[in-house]
Amino acid sequence: MDKKYGVYICTGCGIGDALNIKALCEVPEEEGLPVQTHPFLCGKDGVELIKKDIADKGINTMVIAACSRRVNFDIFKFDGCIVDRVNLREQVVWSHPRSEFPALTEDQIDDGVHFDRLQMLAEDYLKMGMAKVEKIKLPEPYQVETFSNKILVIGGGITGISAALDAAKAGYNVTIVEKEASLGGYAAKVRKQLPDQDPYDTLALPAVESKIREIESYDNITVRTGTLVARLAGEPGNFTVTLKKPGEKIEFDVPYPLPEEMKFDENGKELDVEAQHKRFLEYNKGKVDILKFDPSGEKFGAVVLAAGWRPYKPKDDEFSHLGYGELPDVVTNHQFEEMAAKGKIITSDGREAKSVVFIQSPGKGEDDADFNYCGSVTSMVALKQAKYVREDYTDGKAYIFYQHMRTPGLLENFYKSIQQDEGIFLTKGEVIGVSKNGSGMIVEADNTLLGEKMKVKADMVVLATGMVPVTVDDPVVNMAYRQGPAFRDIGLFEGYCDSNYICFPYETQRTGIYAAGAVRRSMTMEESVEDATGAALKAIQCIESVNRGVSVHPRSGDMTYPDFFFQRCTQCKRCTEECPFGALDDDEKGTPKPNPARCRRCGTCMGACPERIIGFADYNIDSVGSMVKAINVPSEDDYEEPPMRIIGFVCENDAYPAIDIAGLNRLSYSADVRFIPVRCLGSMNVIWIKDALAQGMDGAFLLGCKYGDDYQCHFIKGSELADIRMKKIGDALSSLALEDERVAQFEVAIDEYDKLPKMINDFVENVEELGPNPFKGF
Amino acid sequence: MTDKYLVEPDVNFIKEIIGLGGDTLKKCFQCATCSVACPISPDTKPFPRKEMVAASWGLKDKLVGNPDIWLCHNCGDCTTRCPRGAAPGDVLGAVRSYAVTEYAVPKAVGKAVKDPKKLPILLAVPVVIFLAVGLILKLFGVNWLNFSPHGGEIWQDHFISNYLVDSIMVPTFFGAIAVFALGLKRFLADIHANALAEGKTDKEKIAPAGFIKALLRVVPTILRHQKFNECSENSERTTPHMMVLLSFIGLFVVTTCFFLAEWVFLIDGPYSQLNPIKWLANVSGIALIIGGFLLIKNRAAKKDQVSTYWDWALVWLVLLLGLTGLLTETARLGGIAWLSYSLYAIHLVLVWSLFAYTPFSKLAHLVYRTVALTYNEYSGRQ
Repeated sequence: MDKKYGVYICTGCGIGDALNIKALCEVPEEEGLPVQTHPFLCGKDGVELIKKDIADKGINTMVIAACSRRVNFDIFKFDGCIVDRVNLREQVVWSHPRSEFPALTEDQIDDGVHFDRLQMLAEDYLKMGMAKVEKIKLPEPYQVETFSNKILVIGGGITGISAALDAAKAGYNVTIVEKEASLGGYAAKVRKQLPDQDPYDTLALPAVESKIREIESYDNITVRTGTLVARLAGEPGNFTVTLKKPGEKIEFDVPYPLPEEMKFDENGKELDVEAQHKRFLEYNKGKVDILKFDPSGEKFGAVVLAAGWRPYKPKDDEFSHLGYGELPDVVTNHQFEEMAAKGKIITSDGREAKSVVFIQSPGKGEDDADFNYCGSVTSMVALKQAKYVREDYTDGKAYIFYQHMRTPGLLENFYKSIQQDEGIFLTKGEVIGVSKNGSGMIVEADNTLLGEKMKVKADMVVLATGMVPVTVDDPVVNMAYRQGPAFRDIGLFEGYCDSNYICFPYETQRTGIYAAGAVRRSMTMEESVEDATGAALKAIQCIESVNRGVSVHPRSGDMTYPDFFFQRCTQCKRCTEECPFGALDDDEKGTPKPNPARCRRCGTCMGACPERIIGFADYNIDSVGSMVKAINVPSEDDYEEPPMRIIGFVCENDAYPAIDIAGLNRLSYSADVRFIPVRCLGSMNVIWIKDALAQGMDGAFLLGCKYGDDYQCHFIKGSELADIRMKKIGDALSSLALEDERVAQFEVAIDEYDKLPKMINDFVENVEELGPNPFKGF
Repeated sequence: MTDKYLVEPDVNFIKEIIGLGGDTLKKCFQCATCSVACPISPDTKPFPRKEMVAASWGLKDKLVGNPDIWLCHNCGDCTTRCPRGAAPGDVLGAVRSYAVTEYAVPKAVGKAVKDPKKLPILLAVPVVIFLAVGLILKLFGVNWLNFSPHGGEIWQDHFISNYLVDSIMVPTFFGAIAVFALGLKRFLADIHANALAEGKTDKEKIAPAGFIKALLRVVPTILRHQKFNECSENSERTTPHMMVLLSFIGLFVVTTCFFLAEWVFLIDGPYSQLNPIKWLANVSGIALIIGGFLLIKNRAAKKDQVSTYWDWALVWLVLLLGLTGLLTETARLGGIAWLSYSLYAIHLVLVWSLFAYTPFSKLAHLVYRTVALTYNEYSGRQ
C-alpha cells in the first residue's frame, strides 16, 4: 500500500496546557508530514477531522498523539488504515507535572545548559510513533487450507456430555469420543451427587443418565464409544484426527518422545543428536512422522478435552501411619463410594460400619496440606459420604477430621445441613495415626477443636485422596506436534493442563484445545457441568476466530501472525523449541513449519531468533529497532550536562497498563525514560538493547510480568525467557566495555502501579551513578 | 480405666440439649466470635466456644461437670453476635438445665419438674401432704386443720395452723437442703476433676477453709449483680433479677423471725403492721411481685432468646408466690375471709413447691452458680 501520512495531536486532557504544541508540531513538519491539532480529538468533531482527511486527502497511515492506546481504541479505529497511538496523556503530561518538570523561561531557551525534559519526552514519543508507522504494514488474514467447524469432545463423562450438549445447542456439529464402552464416566458410578439445585442442602440422585438420553435428541452429536484419539494433527480450524479402538496399534499412532533413559548409552553417556534421533525412530517404529497427515483422518475445528480423572492410588507405605494397606477397613473415598453405590456400607469382615472416620489431610506432623490432587471437592465428598453412613444406619456416626473444610458458593448450605445431622461430627485436627483396636480401629488426632489430643473408635476409615487428571498418565490428546504429544509440563500444576490457572480458565498450552472438568482441576460434577459450558464456548470462539484469520486468545482478534524469512533460516530450532504453545513443527532438516492458527502471536519466536528473520506485519525487529533509533540522545555537544536516556521495554499486558494507572493517579517518575511496549517480554530481541546502548543510551530495562510459581505471564514463560536472555547479554555488554548494571529486568503486577515510580527512579539513579554511556555522541 | 482422650459422642445427650432449648447447637462452626463477645468470659480457656463444640459432639462429661457453664449468666451477647445463627447462651442454658436434673436425686422428680404434663401431680403433692398430716393429727385430737375457721378476726392460723405449716415446711426445707448437699458433693467433685483435666487449676484438693473464704468474697459480688452488669444485651434483666433475689432473702429473714416468735417466744400473730419485720415483709412482697412481673415481661419480649417451660415455670412461680402472699394479707386486712383463706391455701402450695422442687428446678442455679463462682474464685482459674 502507498502510505499517506497524517499526524494528529490532541491538546485536550491537559496536554495542550503542559506542552509547547507548536514546537511539537514542528517534529513531523520537519519530516514533511502534515500535522493537525484538535482540543478534543476523541470527540465527534475530532474524529470527523480525521475521517475527512481519509476521504479528501487519502490519508491511510496516521500517528495519533493523544491518550493511551488502551483507551478510545474503538474510536481511533479506521478501516484499512495503519494507526499508531502516541501516549501523551497518561505517560507524558499526567505523570510529569510541570511543578516538577518546569518549562524553560525565555532566557533559558537554547542556552546550552537548560532543557525541557517534558517537551523532550513528548517529542521523542512522537518521533517513535512516526518511525513505527513507517515500518509496519496492514495485516492480511491467515486462512487455513481446509476449514472445519466441527468440535471434537474427548471424554464422555458428565463434562464431555455437557460440553457436547452446549455446543450442539449453539448449532455446532460435535463428536464425542469415549474410551469406555458407554457414556457417563464416574458420574454414572456414584450413589448420590452433591446438591444441584436451590437450596443446595440435600444430596441429589445421579443426573448423568438424563443427560445421556438428552444427547439422543440431537442429530448433530455423534457418539463414538470404545474409541481413542490416536493422533491429532494440523491446527485449529483444520485438525486432522485419527481415531482408533483401545489397544490397537496403527501407523498413525503419534510418535512418542524418547524416554529419558534411552538418551544415554550403556556407559551412561548422553548420545549425540543423530544417535538419539536414530533411537527415536526405532522407538517409534511403524509410526509415520508428525508432518504426514492421515488421508482418512476426520477434520475438526476445535477440541474440548474432558478426559477427566482417575482416583489417586496411594503408593505402598505412603499412608502407613493411617493404616492404609495394612488395615483392611482403611479405604480411599473412591473405594468407599464404590461400596456405597453397591449397597449398605459394611466392613471387610461383613460387620455394619456404624462408625466411620473421614480423614481430609494425611497429617504426619509435616504440614496441614490435604492429600494430593484434592480441593474443595474432597471436602464436599466427605460431607456427602458422611451422609451415606447416616442413611444406612440410624445410629450410625460419621466423624470428619479436616485441616481445611471448603464448601464454596451455595454449597455452604450443604455444609450447614450436614452440620445439623446429630450423628455427624466435625473437627479441625491433625490426624496422627490409625491403629487396630479389637475388631475395630482407633483414630488419634492432635490439635483438635475439642482439645489437644483425642481419639475416636472407628469401624471404617476413609481417606480423602484426590482426583488425578488422566493427563498425568497419558497424553490423551496425542498431538502430532514437534514439542510432543502431551501438554508441556511447566512443573507448576502437577499434571493438570492449564496455561494460566487464574486468568484464562479452559485455555491449555495448545491453541484450539480447551480443557474442562476434572482434567483441569479437581472439581465436582456440578462445577464440571459449568466448566463444560465455558470450554464449549471457547471452542466456538476458536472456530469463529480461525475462520476470519484472527487470533483467538489472549490477543483476540489480532490478524497478524509470524512471518518467516526462510532464506536466512539456519535451522537452529530455537523458535520451535521456545514457542510456549508448540505452534511450530520443524521438518527433518530443522526448518520450522509455522502453524499460524496454533499461534498466539506473543512473538516469543521473534525474540528467540538469532537471525532475526521472524516478524509480524505491525511488530517486528525493524519496527521496534526504528523506534529505538528515533529517540534523541542528547550529548555534551548539546548541553553542558545532558540528561540521561534510558529505554524501557514494557510488556503491554500488565506493565504498560500499570504505567498508565500510575499516570491516572498522577504519580510522577523520571522523564528521562522512554517506554516501548512489547507484546510479551518473550518477544524481546536483545538486538534492540544492543542498538540502544550502541546509540549512546545510558541504560535499558525490561518491565514484565511476575514469573515463577505464581506467574502472571499471558504467554506462560515470556518474562522468564527474557530473564534468561538478559543474563546472556552480559558478554555483549563487556565487549562494549559497558557495565552489567546498565541493563536490568523488573517484575510488576498490574496492580502494583504505585511501586513503579520508585522502581523506575531507582534504576535511573543507579545509571546516573555509573555516569553517561561513553558511546554518547559517536 | 477408659482412655481419657477417647471421645464417644452421646447422640441422646445432643437430642436432650436440643429439646431443652439448645436447638441451635449444631449450627456452630467454631469461629469463637462468642468467646470474644462474652464480657465475662475469662481470658484463658474462654467459654462458650469450647462448650459449643463439646455440645455438638455430644460430650456430656465435658459439659455437665464443667464449672464454666455456670460462669455464664446467659446475657445473650454471644447469641446476638453469632454469625451462624447459633445461640450459645441458650445452649449453655440448656446444658445447665440438664446438669440440674443430673445432680438432683431422685431423678424421677427432676424429670417431672421438666414435664408440663406432670405439673398437676407436683402441685397435688403438697395438698395431699397437708390434708394427710392434718387429718391424721385430727385422729389424735390435734386440731391444726380447720375447714370452717370461726368468724371474728381473720387469721390464717385459724384455717391451717402455723404449727402444721411449720412442721411440714421445715422438714421440706431441710429435705431440699439434703438433696442439694448430695448433688453438691458430686458437683464439686466433678467440677474439680474437670478443672484439673483442663488445666484450669493447680490446686489438687479443695480445702474447706479456703473455700469458705472464697464464698465470703463471692457473695457480695452476687448481691451486687456485678457480672450481670457487664452484659450488654440483657442489661434490663439485672434490676428485676436483683429485686427477686433480695426479696427472697428478705422474706427468708421475715419467715425466720416469725418462726422464732412463734416457737421460741410463743408470740402469736397476726403481727402489727408497725412491726419493722412486717415492713420488711411487705416491701419484699411488693419487690417480688414487681421483679417477677418485669422478668416475665422481658422474657416475653425477647424473641431471639429461647424460653422453655423450665424458664417460664420459675418466673411464674415467683410472680404467683408474691401475688398470693400479698393478696392473702390484703384480703385479710380487707376482711374478705373466704378469699384470704383460699389464697393462703394456694400460697402454701406454692411455697412448699418452691422449697421441695428447688433442687430440681431452674432455681437450683442459686446454689450451683454460687458454688461454681466460689470454686472459680477459690481455684484461681487459669
